[in-house]
Amino acid sequence: MYKSGQREFINRVKNALGHSADNMERKRKFFDLPMSEKDRTTLKGIENRTPEEKEKLLETLIEAAKPINLNVIVLPDVSSVTTAIVDLVREKEPEWGDKKSVAAWKHPLIASLNLTAALSEQDVSVYFTEFEDGQMEDDLPIETREKLRQHIIDSYIGITSADFCMADTATLVMRTRPGQARSVSLVPLIHVAVIEIDQIIADLKELFTLIKWDAEHQKEGLTNCMTFISGPSKTADIEATMVHGAHGPREVYLFVIS
Amino acid sequence: MIKITTENYVAEARKAIKNQVLQKALEDLQQRFGPPTALSYQKLLEGPELRLIAQDIRMQAIENLDIILEKLAENIHQNGGHVFFAKDGQEAIEYALQIARKHNVKRIVKGKSMVTEEIGLNTALIDAGIDVTETDLGEYIIQLAGEHPSHIIAPAVHKTRNEIGKLFSEKLDIPFITDPPKLTQEARKALRKKFLAADMGTSGCNLACAETGHIAVVSNEGNIRMAATMPRVHLAFIGMERVVARLEDHDALVRLLCRGAAAQKMSTYVSYIGGPRSAGQVDGPQEFHLIILDNGRSRILADEEFREMLCCIRCAACLNVCPVYRKIGGHSYGSTYSGPVGAVVTPLLVGINQAKDLCLGETLCGACQDACPVNIDIPRMLLALRFKLAEGDSVWNVTPADRKEKAIYSVWSWMIRHRSVYDFFLRLAAFGQNILPQKEGMIRRLPPPMSGWTQSRDMKAIAKQSFMKRWKKL
Ligand code: SF4
Repeated sequence: MYKSGQREFINRVKNALGHSADNMERKRKFFDLPMSEKDRTTLKGIENRTPEEKEKLLETLIEAAKPINLNVIVLPDVSSVTTAIVDLVREKEPEWGDKKSVAAWKHPLIASLNLTAALSEQDVSVYFTEFEDGQMEDDLPIETREKLRQHIIDSYIGITSADFCMADTATLVMRTRPGQARSVSLVPLIHVAVIEIDQIIADLKELFTLIKWDAEHQKEGLTNCMTFISGPSKTADIEATMVHGAHGPREVYLFVIS
Repeated sequence: MIKITTENYVAEARKAIKNQVLQKALEDLQQRFGPPTALSYQKLLEGPELRLIAQDIRMQAIENLDIILEKLAENIHQNGGHVFFAKDGQEAIEYALQIARKHNVKRIVKGKSMVTEEIGLNTALIDAGIDVTETDLGEYIIQLAGEHPSHIIAPAVHKTRNEIGKLFSEKLDIPFITDPPKLTQEARKALRKKFLAADMGTSGCNLACAETGHIAVVSNEGNIRMAATMPRVHLAFIGMERVVARLEDHDALVRLLCRGAAAQKMSTYVSYIGGPRSAGQVDGPQEFHLIILDNGRSRILADEEFREMLCCIRCAACLNVCPVYRKIGGHSYGSTYSGPVGAVVTPLLVGINQAKDLCLGETLCGACQDACPVNIDIPRMLLALRFKLAEGDSVWNVTPADRKEKAIYSVWSWMIRHRSVYDFFLRLAAFGQNILPQKEGMIRRLPPPMSGWTQSRDMKAIAKQSFMKRWKKL
């Protein structure tokens, strides 16, 4: 493989800055700092959030969603979400070709929707983006991966959950894991996300504090791809006219179970 | 290398000012982004002061870039990604070509990236027989038209819907349409095919995070997510300065970037990418490479006068308020970076003498600094560049731009320090000006060697009686 060029490069930077070779002191200033009082307060605030405060966040989320054309629908339970999705599938037409199919994450909340059964009436297939038998290794037959990819490409609705939703900006936060393909929220024409009210957090500060300092989230970190999604894809590159669905989904529906 | 045409600045600017369509587009653009961005800073929880905090974060990162880049590379390696440090554009391109060859890459989809424009990556890839497609809608239009972007965020701002309709009907073989949603849909269709067929996706990077080992990429269209998700290989390019130390640093900076770029609270998509897909993951690239580029930046870093410029996050907010950019547009600047940011960065990257007109052309009004999400003092650096042009500079290899001008000013400065000489010349000039063409008390043209002064402005005629004389009488 190509040599990385790192040493020479870093030395040039060091010289430009006039730093000596010893940089432990500076490193300590930047990295591996202990949790601050402020971080602790932020974590506590999230942990001890009252139901009223959660409702407040939901309101903020609904307000923030309006200008970005994100449809937020608050429903009382899982079965009403299923009904809503079934209606959506009935109402919306596919973008390419006329066969309707749906791609969905393998995720406990999504599994509880029982979509396969609910959509079989309309003869719509639901493809879950997981390898059979929870296969983990990368030496899978190439066709397995290819087949899944094709299912996602052919689907006109993609159904995911999310790790969090930031109320301040109406932003879904997703990390990548086996079974939870990135392209489900990207390639289909319509993206449907289902979350519970407890997954709503206030803003970026809370998100980063959780990921950095909360024991459970810290373990996983950002994963190799953490994505923020705020509403449908858009462009204004032609005479500044706003158009949705440039490359990503044209419509996004967020169901919040509360 | 990309062709730099900074020497055509004056001629190009003249053309742009006469182009009515462009003038209208530029005015609209500034209206659409300028005031809303300022308002969005006001509405920040911390108020516009957050810009100063962000500036501090950026400056600290720049001043410790050596350890921060090491940390970034270390973490990306740990996540299973590859990092290549490129001294210049040539090395970056060679590396990219090598990766492309290794994976037998025939088709590449590109997410918008100024760095790859800077090094002329496209040409190199195309020369190597690879099919390269820009996927940001604006960039795609520009590529089909065989032009260069004229704005960092709105590359096709100078194109009308009619032009785009014609272009699409020729290149995509569709009927002539002008409706933006329909045109967008045609591009979506054409580009989707490209995304799905591509072997490799390339992107830039808006801001990396060293302590976690991720690059953040931001877009509204979703094209960068596509390019980083669907092909087998993801190759990302980053200017060496586009990194901060900690995750929490991204809080202030991401918020400010989205506001500065398009007056948004949050762009539609922000992805933190740290490596290739891992075991059991259904999609994402098999291989992830980050190319970190110097290409003249360490030279800027070494000069404390200009180091601040490396805090720039290329959001284009300064373009959206600049009165000069509004009149002359992006192409006049003759290089990748236009507007106020280009007026400083381009001379520093390509040579101060070669790009001298860029820093001479700006007005020093200060609007850029007020709009900048990290409060970069662009006017100060423009002045510093002009000083080098006037006096010459050995470190930056600057020869004084205009010896004649310097000579005139030396004489002038000597003269005004000698009252009697000054008075004598004033009388002489007051008498001599009578033979010059005048209109309504203004002199239209000065004789050489001062003729440059009146090339595009009139000069007030010298009063019959000087202020000093009148003062004495009072
Ligand atoms: S100088 Fe400031 S305003 Fe201009 S592009 Fe850079 S960060 Fe944005």
